[in-house]
Amino acid sequence: MKKSLKVIGKPTPKLDGHLRVSGKAVYGHDISLPNMLYGAILRAQYPCAKIKAIDVSKAAKLPGVVCVITADDVDVAHMSHKRDHPVLKKGEVNCIRDEIAAVAASTKEIARKALRLIEVEYEVREGIFDPADALQEDAPGINKYARGDEGKNIAQTFHYEHGDIEEQKAKSTCIVKRRYVLPRVTHCCLETSVVTADYSQSDGRLTLYSSTQVPFLYQRDMARVLKMDPSNIRVVQPVIGGGFGSKLDMYPFEPICALLSMTCGQPVQIAFSREEEFVASPTRQAMVIDLTTGADAEGRFTFREVEITKDNGAYTSWGATTSFVMMQTFSSLYHAPACVFDARAVYTNNPYAGSFRGYGNPQSTFALERNIDLMAEELAMDRAAIRLVNANYKGEKTGQGLEYATCGHKDALDTVIAKSDYTRKKREYKDAPSARYKRAMGFASMLHVAGGAKIYRSDGCGTTVKLDNFGHLIIITGSSEIGQGSETVLAMMACEELGIDMSKIKVINTDTDIKPWDVGVHASRTSFVAGNSLLGAIGRLKDKISPWAARYLKTDIEDLDYDNGEIGCKTSGRSVKIDKVVRELHFQDPNVLCMESYYYEPASDFQDAGYKGNVSGAYAFASQAIEVEVDTYTGQVKVLDVYVGQDVGRVLNPLGLMGQIEGGVVMGMGYALTEELVVAKGQVVNPTFHNYKIPSACDIPEIHFYPIETHDQAGPYGAKGVGEAPLIPTPAAIANAVSNALGVEINALPMTPENVLKAIKDRP
Amino acid sequence: MNFDLVSPTTTEDLLRAIDEHRGRRFRFGAGYTDLLLDLEEQQDNELTVINLARLNDPSFTSIVHDGGEMRIGALVTASRIIADRKLQSRYPVLCQAAGQHGSRQIRHTATVGGNLCTASPAGDMACALVALRARCDILPARGDARSLAVSDFFLGVRETDLKEDEVLRRVIIPTDDGEVKTHSDFIKIGKRRSMECAVVSIAYHIESDGDDTMTRAGIAIGSVAPTIKYARSACEYLVGKRLSSLGPSERDEFAAKVVEYASPISDIRASAWYREDVLFNMSKSILENH
Repeated sequence: MKKSLKVIGKPTPKLDGHLRVSGKAVYGHDISLPNMLYGAILRAQYPCAKIKAIDVSKAAKLPGVVCVITADDVDVAHMSHKRDHPVLKKGEVNCIRDEIAAVAASTKEIARKALRLIEVEYEVREGIFDPADALQEDAPGINKYARGDEGKNIAQTFHYEHGDIEEQKAKSTCIVKRRYVLPRVTHCCLETSVVTADYSQSDGRLTLYSSTQVPFLYQRDMARVLKMDPSNIRVVQPVIGGGFGSKLDMYPFEPICALLSMTCGQPVQIAFSREEEFVASPTRQAMVIDLTTGADAEGRFTFREVEITKDNGAYTSWGATTSFVMMQTFSSLYHAPACVFDARAVYTNNPYAGSFRGYGNPQSTFALERNIDLMAEELAMDRAAIRLVNANYKGEKTGQGLEYATCGHKDALDTVIAKSDYTRKKREYKDAPSARYKRAMGFASMLHVAGGAKIYRSDGCGTTVKLDNFGHLIIITGSSEIGQGSETVLAMMACEELGIDMSKIKVINTDTDIKPWDVGVHASRTSFVAGNSLLGAIGRLKDKISPWAARYLKTDIEDLDYDNGEIGCKTSGRSVKIDKVVRELHFQDPNVLCMESYYYEPASDFQDAGYKGNVSGAYAFASQAIEVEVDTYTGQVKVLDVYVGQDVGRVLNPLGLMGQIEGGVVMGMGYALTEELVVAKGQVVNPTFHNYKIPSACDIPEIHFYPIETHDQAGPYGAKGVGEAPLIPTPAAIANAVSNALGVEINALPMTPENVLKAIKDRP
Repeated sequence: MNFDLVSPTTTEDLLRAIDEHRGRRFRFGAGYTDLLLDLEEQQDNELTVINLARLNDPSFTSIVHDGGEMRIGALVTASRIIADRKLQSRYPVLCQAAGQHGSRQIRHTATVGGNLCTASPAGDMACALVALRARCDILPARGDARSLAVSDFFLGVRETDLKEDEVLRRVIIPTDDGEVKTHSDFIKIGKRRSMECAVVSIAYHIESDGDDTMTRAGIAIGSVAPTIKYARSACEYLVGKRLSSLGPSERDEFAAKVVEYASPISDIRASAWYREDVLFNMSKSILENH
């Protein structure tokens, strides 16, 4: 029998909501320090060129300019997990983002003006912009710092396999092979990239006001690049105006800002313009997926063969490693007796790709779910039925070794099939007369880690809780708030456990000098990992408080109830205020401090060299049914209704959860229908919201959300991670719907009106 | 952003300001929705913005229905056009175009005059005004006002017939008060449903008599040529015909006549073939939905 809960599961407004809507929240752009200078970066004019000379003398002489730096002025190590990325570029440029020089000046305008005074003499070279060209035998090496141990112009490869492919092929009644082409899209955070660096020349300490999602890895990376002691770097996170994975890596502007501050001895801020944001912030990786899949006569899936070529861009960021997540979808979403997966990230002179909500999973799900529709068609099976036959189930251990202690996949499918009225609508679509507008429904499911992902040496999070003399609780958590609502969920958990009102709980989570270690906000992990960590700390705190309270109330610890700021005895009805207990503990002899810490590490496994192992503490499943109407006159796709069934373990905060679902679906719609960062010969062609189209309020359909509660024992109150899941199946489901509506194959994104109209015209 | 600002409040002051800036770089600022983007790039060059937002002359700022014509001041915002009852009933296409212009915030500040003087081939209100065969009323710094058809006002992409010492005062739509049945719309095609810049646009205003016979037709197309085009032969094709009697082949014939006015280009927003195909399809749709 599950305990009934007081706060968990109840709609709870965000703790910081009032600050955000009233304009009081202090974002990175709002930071202003005494004597602060403004930094600006000179980027390459060409995506591939030799730098013959740089002359900064005119810029340095401009009144108001305090310093100008180039690669010659600094002693730094290369960046990125592949160490293939110089902070400032010397001798050549290989990407339109390349940082050649940086200026610190008294105003933004002077800094920008100074950039125009820097003279760079280039010798333009022919760049390589297609991974296929980069793989040619006679192609020049693009990144001279690449180790090259996986092949020329290859940044990173992944190989995974399980099962007997040939045996499964023999069992297959249908085999579908298709190529899928996915574009480059970007996060479009409302707040553009920003960092403020404050270096003290007297004690050698550096404070960074940064919107990073991973403050402790950032501190380590920054120290390595700047050749500093990490403990001399303090990372402070102002309110973050959007992360979505974009702030998972450190980018050159950040150490450059630190270098400017170190050179000038004054604080320096670098803030991107929107255009710079489009050009110089990370993207989702563009890729080509060649996928072959099979199914037997009953529609049971047999095998998957996957080959992926990713456009890495000129340097390596986390984009290259998204294969790690992509392979899970191919190995473990639906029944998958055999799978072979090969992916390579190929250097080009294009902008480099980073991490983005879903981490490769929207791409792999798109390919797999399109192939499933095509197999259903070939087998003359219903598109919902083929998915139900192959759905994942509780207790399943997949070929890759993922262990589904709970699994809401089939429930999610059943729910969206029923709620969308699919069976009736399917008949209706069939009988509809041929007209200008075509309607259809599309399905897609997804699997994603939902209890952390054990990639780094620890996937853990530390928490300290401090109960004060007046009955207020301070939670000092290693995790970060990036708008996902983690502060609120953590406060709700503390409120639930200690019976302390939400208004008496503060969450401290913005300063690496104060908060305990955490690997960062990613992999939909924060509620799960930081939640469990908090519950561990509260458990220890209660171990201190409860014995005193039990003695005082002349009862047993088991008989205590924390509620309404008091500790009560369930049988006698007597109670004592929690602040009184704290005071008694603090001031008794011996004194006992009401402060406890806990480090939580998920019970997941490191995967072996073949990527096998139970990498996460829990797994999320979701299915979406999406109904669209396509205008065959214009190619415009109208998304009518989105039905989301998602295994969330247990609903913690319904308001925050709905925000994640709606935000994710809309982000997935943008990827599906309108968004593309167009890069032509290495240059970003549409670096404005005028030509990079994110969905507007008028494009948003009804989003019907049905949480599937599977109560996973590993999660706090049974909850799983939810943040990335809602966007992952959306592009696939929309593509399936559009393909079904028109009787065409949509195997590339985005489905802009023009691309859809072209598909109609090309229809055989 | 670096510029001088003058804010005349009377037409006399405005004309003086124009006269004084003869031979120097100046821009008019009304709703600033386009101008701000240009000013952002503005660095050290001498530039004066003649701010029209404080101008207090009804001929610039009001909508007047006066017997034989509707006069719309250049400083009238899109929001005011949308809310104007008389325009809604008599020339709904202009309200429909204004309603699809930018976002709500933009519509509150963007002006008719700005939309015309920007001379974008994708202009929304401008497209409706071409369909309505409106005329521009232009005031020079010295001398008499002149008038010309909106379609003649546009000379090219971001290029108008406005001389250096002239300002657009208002647009005038000739009108009569007879009872007519109106079939109109502003069709704006883009990648999304709002906050768009048209990839293809069609403004149409068709009047029919009690017998359903079309008596007047105005069709203008945007984003498919360097300027907004009035599709004269397509308009003439309709007059005298009954809207409800047109079959598929006549709709195609009509659409083909509209497309004749298009000379689209391929750019980041759409390919030429797409603009042409959609223009044809949507022209056809005008005669399907009535």
